[in-house]
Amino acid sequence: MFRAFSDFLSARFPVEKMNFNAMVAKKEVPVHKMSWAYYLGGLSLFFLIVQVVTGLMLLFYYEPTVSDAHASVEFITKHVSGGALIRNMHSWSASAMIFCVMAHMLTAFAMKAFERPRELIWVTGVIMLLLTFTFGFTGYLLPWNQIAVNATKVGLQSIEEIGTFLPQSLSTLPRLIRETIQGEASVGQATLSRFYALHVVVLPLLMFAVLALHLFSIQLHGMSKGVDSEVRKTEKFFPDFMIKDLTLWGVVFLVLFIVALCLPFESFFSYPLSEPYNPLGSTPEGIKPEWYFYFLYYPLEMLPFWVVFLVTNAAVLVLLLAPWIFRGTSRRTLRVLAVVITAYLVLMTVFGEQIYYIVKGGQ
Amino acid sequence: MESFLFIGLPYISIGLFLFGTIARFRSSLYSISSQSSQFLEHRALRWGSTAWHIGIILILLAHIAVVLAPGLWTGLMSNKTILLVTESTGIALSLLCLIGILVLAVRRLVFSKVQAVTTNMDLVVLGLLFVQVGLGLAVALKHKWGAAWATGTVVPYLWSILTLKPRAELVTEMPLLVKAHVVGGFAFIALIPFSRLIHMLTAPVHYLLREPQLVVWSNLSRTREAVIAQAYDSRRFFLRGFVATGAGATMLAVGVMDKLVRFFQGPKLSKEQEAALMEEKLIRIKSTVEQRELEYERLKNDYIYVCRVSDLDARVGRYFTDFEMRPALAFRDEDGLPLLISAKCTHLGCTIANELSADGKILCPCHISYFDIKTGQPNEGSPAKSPLPHLDWVIFDSQGNLLAQRNSSGVTIETKDLALLLQQGSLYIVKNLDKRV
Repeated sequence: MFRAFSDFLSARFPVEKMNFNAMVAKKEVPVHKMSWAYYLGGLSLFFLIVQVVTGLMLLFYYEPTVSDAHASVEFITKHVSGGALIRNMHSWSASAMIFCVMAHMLTAFAMKAFERPRELIWVTGVIMLLLTFTFGFTGYLLPWNQIAVNATKVGLQSIEEIGTFLPQSLSTLPRLIRETIQGEASVGQATLSRFYALHVVVLPLLMFAVLALHLFSIQLHGMSKGVDSEVRKTEKFFPDFMIKDLTLWGVVFLVLFIVALCLPFESFFSYPLSEPYNPLGSTPEGIKPEWYFYFLYYPLEMLPFWVVFLVTNAAVLVLLLAPWIFRGTSRRTLRVLAVVITAYLVLMTVFGEQIYYIVKGGQ
Repeated sequence: MESFLFIGLPYISIGLFLFGTIARFRSSLYSISSQSSQFLEHRALRWGSTAWHIGIILILLAHIAVVLAPGLWTGLMSNKTILLVTESTGIALSLLCLIGILVLAVRRLVFSKVQAVTTNMDLVVLGLLFVQVGLGLAVALKHKWGAAWATGTVVPYLWSILTLKPRAELVTEMPLLVKAHVVGGFAFIALIPFSRLIHMLTAPVHYLLREPQLVVWSNLSRTREAVIAQAYDSRRFFLRGFVATGAGATMLAVGVMDKLVRFFQGPKLSKEQEAALMEEKLIRIKSTVEQRELEYERLKNDYIYVCRVSDLDARVGRYFTDFEMRPALAFRDEDGLPLLISAKCTHLGCTIANELSADGKILCPCHISYFDIKTGQPNEGSPAKSPLPHLDWVIFDSQGNLLAQRNSSGVTIETKDLALLLQQGSLYIVKNLDKRV
C-alpha cells in the first residue's frame, strides 16, 4: 500500500528531472495544428498577474464596510488618478481570466493533457478553475451596489434550496451552511468582511500554492503531446516558445489596456443596478449573475433545482476524476466531447436569456 | 454604432496603422514602394499623377496644419479674405485631385499593361480615394466655411482621440457628409500599411534637395566597397536599434511611474469636493446607523411600531422590517384592518415590489412570481413554490390599550368602537404573540 503510494508520487515528481537543464533548457513544445492551445495556460497566468497587481492597487483605497464600500469604489473611479483605469482593468481582466481558464481546460481535455503522469496537473487545474469561480463570486459583492448584493443573495439562497430535498432531520443543514457563509441571517457586514477576507487573502494564498504545484509539474513533465499521431516537429521552450508567449502577453495587455481605458465594465448594467445597495427597498429588476455563471444560472431558472444540483456535482466529480475515467479514450472522442461541452457553454452564455423565454413562454 | 464609428474605428485604425506599418517594415522591407508603373505607361500617368499629388499633398498639409495649430488657424480664418481664398483654393485643389484620380482610374482600367500589375487593393484604394475626396468637396460646398468651423468641432474631437479621452459627442451631431468624411479618413489610416499608400511614409523628399546623381554600373571594387558599407550599416543599425529600444523603455518606465506615483498620491481635491465627499459618506454612515438601530430595537423590544392604521393603503404597501430583519409589507385589507405579509420571496429571497396589481397580487421582480396577498400563494408555474407567510399584529390606542390583534387563532377585535380603531389605532408587530398577549 505504502509502496504503491510512493511509486505514484515518484512517477509524478521524478527527482532526477528536477534541475534547470531538464525543466527549462531541454523542454520542447510540440508544433502541430492544436499548438495554439499551449498559449492558453500562459494567458490565464498573465491575467492572474494583472489581477494581483491591479487588485493590490485597489486595496490601497477600498474600504470593506457596508457604509463605505460603495463610496470608496466610487472614490477610486471618480477621483483617484488612473483609478477608473485600474478598476476597469481589474474587472475586464477578471472576465478574461475566467474565459481563458475555461478555454484552457477545454483544450487540455480535448488534447488529453491529463494522460499519465500528468494527472496531478489536471486535478490542480480543476481546483484552480473552482478557485477562479469563487474569486469571481466573492469579488462581485465587494462594490456593494444593488446588483452585487442582490445577486449574491440569490446565489447564496440557492444553497438553501437543497434543504427541501433532504430528509427532515437534515433539512435545516443547508440553511446553517448558508448562514455560516454569510455570517448572519442576511447578507450584511459580516458577509462583506468574509468575502473580502476570502477574495483578498484566503483565495490568493490557495491559488498560489496550487498554481506553484501546477507550474512546477508542467515544467517537470513538459507539454503533453496533444495529438494522437506522432509529433514530428517541436520547438524549444526556452527561448523560442517563451518569446512568443511574452509577445502574446504584450499584445493582450495592449488590448486590455485600451478596452479598460474606453469601456467601463459597468456600462453593461442599467444605472439603478450600480447604485449603493438599499436594504429597505424593493429588489431592482434585471438582477443577474456575471456572464460566466450563465451556464449554471439559466438551467437553474428552467429546470428543477435538484436536477441542476446533481448534474453540477456530477460534472465536478467527473472533471476531478477525468484522468482515470477517460484513461483509455482516444483524443478524437475527447475532442468531440469538448466540442459538445463548448457548444453548450456558448449557447447558454450567449442565448441563455432567449432560451429561457422560449422554454418559459412570455416576453 | 456611432460610438464604434467615432471611438472604436479610430483606435482600430491607428492601431492597425502602427502595427501594420511596423510589421511591414520589418517583414517585407522591399515591398515598401509606390509600385510605380511608370515604365509601363507614362503619358497618362504624368497628367493623372501630377495633378493628383499636387492637389492631395496641399490639402493634406492644410488638414494637418488645422489639427496641429487650431489657434493660429482660427486667427487666420477670422480674416474674411484669407478664409475666402483658403476655401476656394481648397475647392480648386480637390477638383484637381478628382480629375487626377479619374485619369489614373481610366489608365488602370484601359491600358492592358497597367491592368496586368493592378491588384484588387489598388482598385479599392482608387475608389475610396475618389469617394473620400468627393465627400470632402461635398462638405466644402454644402456646409460652407469648414476652414473656420472645423477648429471648434472636428479638431477637438481629433485631439480627444489623440489624447486617449475620446469624445464622440463632438461629431455625432454633425451633418452626415462630415461624419462620412471623418469615418473615411480613419478608414484610410487603416489602409495605409496594407496598400501602396505606404509610399507616403517613404516619400523621397530629399531628392528635391540633394545634388544631382549619376548612376553607373558596378564593378568588383565597387562591390567590395558596398560590402564594407553594409557591415558599417549593420553596426549602425544595431546601435540605432539599441538606442531606440532604450529610449522607448525609458519613456514607458517614466509613463508608468508617473501613473503609479499619482495613483498612490491620491487625488488633489478642492475644499468643496472634499466637503461633498464627506457629506455623502455621512449619509451612508447614517443609513448604516439606522439599520443598526432597527436591529437593536428588534432585539430589545417585544413590539415594533409599523405605522398608524389610518396610514395604510390598499394599493401600495408600506415596507417595514420584521423581527428577523427581513422586509415585509403592510396593506389595508378590505375590512379596513391591516394585512401584513412577508416581502421576502420564497424562491430566492428577493424583496417583493409593493404595488398591488388589479387582481390583488404582488410581484417579485427577480424571477417573476406573482403572490396573492390574501392567501400568500404564488401563481401557477411561478419559480416560487411556497406561499409568503402573513405576519401577526396588534393594534393599540394612544393609551396603550389593546384594540385588536391577529395571532395563530385569527383576528380578534377587543373594542366596540371600530371607527376609533381605524382612525387612531397604531399598528405593531409582535415578537411572539402567543406568549405576550
